[in-house]
Amino acid sequence: MTAAPAIRALGLLSGQSPAEAGPAARILPLPRPNRAGDRFRRTTRECLLALAAVDAMLEDGTAGRDAIAGDRTALQYVTAAAYGASNRAFIERRGGVMHFAYTAPAVVSAEVAIEFGITGPYGILIGGAPATLRAIEQSARLLEAGRCDRALVLVVEIFEECADLYARHRRFDHRPLVETAACLWLERGVGDLRFESARGAGAAGDPPGGGERFAAGPLADLREWRDGARTEPLELSGAWRGEHARLRWSTEQSHARGSAA
Amino acid sequence: MAAPERVTVVAAGVVTPIGADLEAFWSALVTGASGISQIERVAVADLRVQRGGEVKKVGRIKDWRGVPDCRATRLLVAAADDLCTQTGFRPLPLDPARVGVVVGTALGGVEEGERALAGESARRLRDALYDGPGDRLARWLGARGPVITVSTACASGATALAMGADLLRRGEADAVVAGGYDVLCRFVLRGFDALRSLTRDEVRPFDRRRTGLLLGEAGALALLRRERDVRGPRLGTLLGYGSASDGFHIAAPEPQGRGLERAITAALADAGVSARDIDLVSAHGTATPLNDRIETAALKRALGARAYQVPVNSIKAGLGHTMGAAAALEAFMCLLAAQRALIPPTLNLEDPDPECDLDYVPGQARPGRPRLMLSTSMGFGGCNGALVLEAA
Repeated sequence: MTAAPAIRALGLLSGQSPAEAGPAARILPLPRPNRAGDRFRRTTRECLLALAAVDAMLEDGTAGRDAIAGDRTALQYVTAAAYGASNRAFIERRGGVMHFAYTAPAVVSAEVAIEFGITGPYGILIGGAPATLRAIEQSARLLEAGRCDRALVLVVEIFEECADLYARHRRFDHRPLVETAACLWLERGVGDLRFESARGAGAAGDPPGGGERFAAGPLADLREWRDGARTEPLELSGAWRGEHARLRWSTEQSHARGSAA
Repeated sequence: MAAPERVTVVAAGVVTPIGADLEAFWSALVTGASGISQIERVAVADLRVQRGGEVKKVGRIKDWRGVPDCRATRLLVAAADDLCTQTGFRPLPLDPARVGVVVGTALGGVEEGERALAGESARRLRDALYDGPGDRLARWLGARGPVITVSTACASGATALAMGADLLRRGEADAVVAGGYDVLCRFVLRGFDALRSLTRDEVRPFDRRRTGLLLGEAGALALLRRERDVRGPRLGTLLGYGSASDGFHIAAPEPQGRGLERAITAALADAGVSARDIDLVSAHGTATPLNDRIETAALKRALGARAYQVPVNSIKAGLGHTMGAAAALEAFMCLLAAQRALIPPTLNLEDPDPECDLDYVPGQARPGRPRLMLSTSMGFGGCNGALVLEAA
């Protein structure tokens, strides 16, 4: 059990819901964000979406960039597959020399760290929803141990560039794939956080709206819970590669938008 | 506040360009053997640099039934086989649900993605996702506890060991197999070749004439247990870990090494030791002109006068830079050095760079029995990691 963090803000960019997109849609994409400046000329879509998710989080928290800069901000990045687009582009010889650097998952969180001046502890987990729940729990422990004053959990999942590959794989043909970029800002709070994980245990909850968001599912669920002003205890869950994970969050913690914890 | 649970490195297993198991790896390190050779497994004729630390024979396993034809998975399984041979850890001697797996990688199963795009079976996509090989390793071991893949670029092996220790401290597992791997595939060779990071000369860490790195491939895994659960022989203790982001550039280190300095400071604090306690430093030591100078400066600031008093070696000249495996191999080197009272040399260091003025153990292995060791790692995206290890 860990001390539950307070939710300071949550930015979430999502492709259309499956209901809006219609039954034939297999990928529900996010557009490539526009960002001015030469530095972003060659930047990949997943990196730009990560930056946009942080912008959305700051807007949600009515906070400026300075509020997250420095070495007291921890950054945890999670993805199951966002690097697939840049990996494919490099394999197929699109992009220049620097494109190789962008194939590394670490570069997504690096672009965020560079842009927003974040130099604290970091982590990068590869996996689906359980990895995101674990990243939230790790962030809570960093906060509890005083190793940071705020922790960001960043998740990006994009699929469009590899749509044909997903279509070839039976594992991914059951539900539409919903592109998502999200960033959660946590601070020290009150209450308890309990993370549980098991392999081959009972089924975990499906992502909302019937779409598959890989690692981004829990943050979409969290957004739905918060925006619905729910009062029941927050419980996030998800499954990936036979692992089922659950995060129980006591409701004493603040989830007020834009309020400092 | 209660002292944190101590985590023991019970044993380690490896497959590397200089040895197919831990004993062969250690022998090669102390005799100064090199695993750098012409790359044979993938096409390199169009590349500027065609050498690297290629594993010519993946482990000692004769029967690969049940293990997919995925090199990343096979490097992991070969390292695990070495580990299990030493420890009797397969079949698992404890509840599989209490055994976790944490692996670090910079590339995952990207080679499987290359093969899927070339028209091979879509089933390869399962392993092309970067967490595929770790999942396969867990299945081979029969582990049913947490299975985690981290990808902090070339610091991944350190992150994985630290996260494995965390699983034990939190009681999520009673044993964890943790470490790192990466494959020398066309994807990464072409990438580093394009970046002009590879040398056509020897890899010369901290040498005035250094011109870059060579890549290598390896699998490196440790069995971690809580100290109170361990009876019998052990390699040592994982005392502390620290990480920090440069927030500077996607492919170049921050010029002052401030991120690495913060990671070292955090690792020392996590371990509850001071710079004065450190007896050996395993440097990242890639032999790129920037890395070695920056790393030296960061070590001086983080360790103060102690930086000049302790041996600082790099083992990448003989292995190549094994990316996700590198930090785990370097941690094992530290523990073996302590156990066997011998510090492996930095190969090819003949003309020291005046800006790199620490004791880098040039030439030959040196007698010495370090008690506390620091291992540093730096990676793409400004990922910095540091481990503090204690002799058994």
